[in-house]
Amino acid sequence: MKKLMTSQDLARDARFKRVPMQARALDRRLTEKQRDAILGKEGRKPRNQFSPEHPDAPDRARAMMHGIFVGEIQALEGAGRTCWDFEVGTGENEVPFALKLDMARQCWDEARHCEISVKLSDHMGTEIGEFGESAFLFEAACNPDPILRLAGVNRALEGLAIDVFNTMKEFGDKAGDPVLEFCEDWMLADEVTHVKMGSDWLRRGTENDPARRERALEFQRIVDKLFSGGGARGEEESSPIKLARRFRELAGFDKTEIDEIANLSKEALEEAKRAMAGAAKAYGS
Amino acid sequence: MADPKKPRAAFAPWDRRELPGSFSVEETARKVGHYKWIEMKLFEALGGWVATVPELDVKMRLGTHCYHHAWHSELWHKRLPELREMNPDRLTLPANDAMVEFVEAMTEPEAPETTIEKLVGVYRVLIPHKIAAYTYHLNNTSQITDAPTQRSLRFILQDEYDDWRDGEMLIQSLLETEEEVQRAAAHQARLELIMIRAGGIAGPGSIGPVAKELEEATA
Amino acid sequence: MATVNVTPQEFNFVSYDAAVVERIAEKLVRDVGLGDATVDIEIDEKTPLGRQRIESVDDPVKLFVEGGAFEDPTEPRHLTERGTADVLGRLLFRVADRRSGRFDDAPADTDMSLQESVAWDAYCMGRLERLGYDVRKPRRQYHFRTRHGFNDVADAVFERLWSADELTWADVAAACAETEAIRQPA
Repeated sequence: MKKLMTSQDLARDARFKRVPMQARALDRRLTEKQRDAILGKEGRKPRNQFSPEHPDAPDRARAMMHGIFVGEIQALEGAGRTCWDFEVGTGENEVPFALKLDMARQCWDEARHCEISVKLSDHMGTEIGEFGESAFLFEAACNPDPILRLAGVNRALEGLAIDVFNTMKEFGDKAGDPVLEFCEDWMLADEVTHVKMGSDWLRRGTENDPARRERALEFQRIVDKLFSGGGARGEEESSPIKLARRFRELAGFDKTEIDEIANLSKEALEEAKRAMAGAAKAYGS
Repeated sequence: MADPKKPRAAFAPWDRRELPGSFSVEETARKVGHYKWIEMKLFEALGGWVATVPELDVKMRLGTHCYHHAWHSELWHKRLPELREMNPDRLTLPANDAMVEFVEAMTEPEAPETTIEKLVGVYRVLIPHKIAAYTYHLNNTSQITDAPTQRSLRFILQDEYDDWRDGEMLIQSLLETEEEVQRAAAHQARLELIMIRAGGIAGPGSIGPVAKELEEATA
Repeated sequence: MATVNVTPQEFNFVSYDAAVVERIAEKLVRDVGLGDATVDIEIDEKTPLGRQRIESVDDPVKLFVEGGAFEDPTEPRHLTERGTADVLGRLLFRVADRRSGRFDDAPADTDMSLQESVAWDAYCMGRLERLGYDVRKPRRQYHFRTRHGFNDVADAVFERLWSADELTWADVAAACAETEAIRQPA
């Protein structure tokens, strides 16, 4: 078995359909909210799509749950590959034995999250493969530097998972769905552990190598920004995914780091608006 | 109320543990180092395979089992310094070259169509050999002086039995045609032959003295 | 013979085929009992959202659909026939109900509560399923539970609406009152 596989090689059964990033990038359609933002109009008061009062909330939650499910599969695969890709040692491309043990533990946690997600999807009336799969999480798990990999996956993407699970937990709570609320709370506890693992290994793995630490933090910033969903994760009332400050603090982020993530999300939102405006102009929308 | 001054036997009548054991401290450390090595190789392989198997149930089971074997390797890693090996890496070794060859052959299957081979290598060859070696060790070490190793062996064996059953049932559910049965058998035979050359996961003597040692003991 | 007109006929933002939508809609018009009605379907292909509304229940029936409603969730900008039938079937059953006389006292769709709307949907989709369409009942049940409660009473009411055939608006309103009593006991 080779080391360092790519997302193209991820094995899936026939139910799963991959949606390439390109397919999303080529989509020129705009929501009303996006059009209003581009035209500088006030538009309607933005509503949180995960508020149970929103007519589309159940389907949004179902789609989100499926996204969580495929994300959990990739997180399982990513942690598993980190067990395999690196030998134990002290070199740049080697890892401490204890890091591998953490990754194996994460494998078990992610496998349980897959199981929970399958059961929850069933509870929500969703079939496996009903929605497309993007491989973005696994792509961050392909970094050949193990410390950068953990910064991207455990700190950025598992951090995003904290925000997503917290959002879903709140949806379950408000919608009176006890099963969803219960399960999301348990998964949230695991994610805090995983982010903390990332924070610990970033600190320990770069203790005597400030340049590597900076590279890892830069990689994390890129992943954070790329996967803030064009600003969908934020602290605005209308943000579909709320930045979960309290849980991030538990996971080892300090206030400055959380503020930085909030700012990155705002930047991503502004960039998305500019990109949409450019696209709209080019295509005469 | 019991008389606190009344002398009692150090070993209660039902406590039949015995002092003698078959292994010295050094011999135990050597075995434990081999155990840690194979547990590491196994959890690394299971972790690596997760992304290569398309079957969702298998994928999730491998992820779960990956941690079981990582935990076993951690138990052995922690046991080594207690056996006077202060540098655990020094004894974290394969029993011999044949064990290295075995792991290479076991981890060879990679394509998504080879789930049967992946599972057969682990659940029909390696884990049965681990259970055999661990059982032999459990039953032959000193019940008093080596109680910490025994305790770890018991925990580990419970995982091994459970995982063995899981894996075997997955294999049975995947085998649907004569060709698949032949594939499974051929792969099992290939790996089993290498394991015979290795003499078991801890080398010759993994499940008892080898013939030559027995002759010497008899003489 | 039903007549269905889809606007636009050519799509630029999505890979939809107007003829496919027309074919699906024509069969549905017959199946839901609208006979030889004329149905105009306007699709806003410029948005990925999926809101829909009935603009007229009288001939010609007018339906407005945001393009995302027909989209295959596994393949962006491509139409899914199953999903298209799901969306149009629900709307056309509502049209048929409003034209039947049994729903004369139903409020306008825009004035309806989420509970009422979802309850009526359950009634529509149950009938669509019995016509042989793949409507994914568990999805509808989850919609219903999020609006009417995760409890046995709500589940029983859902089953009743799903399996019913000749309901009136009063029946739907009564079903809503039944679940409301459990969610907010007096």
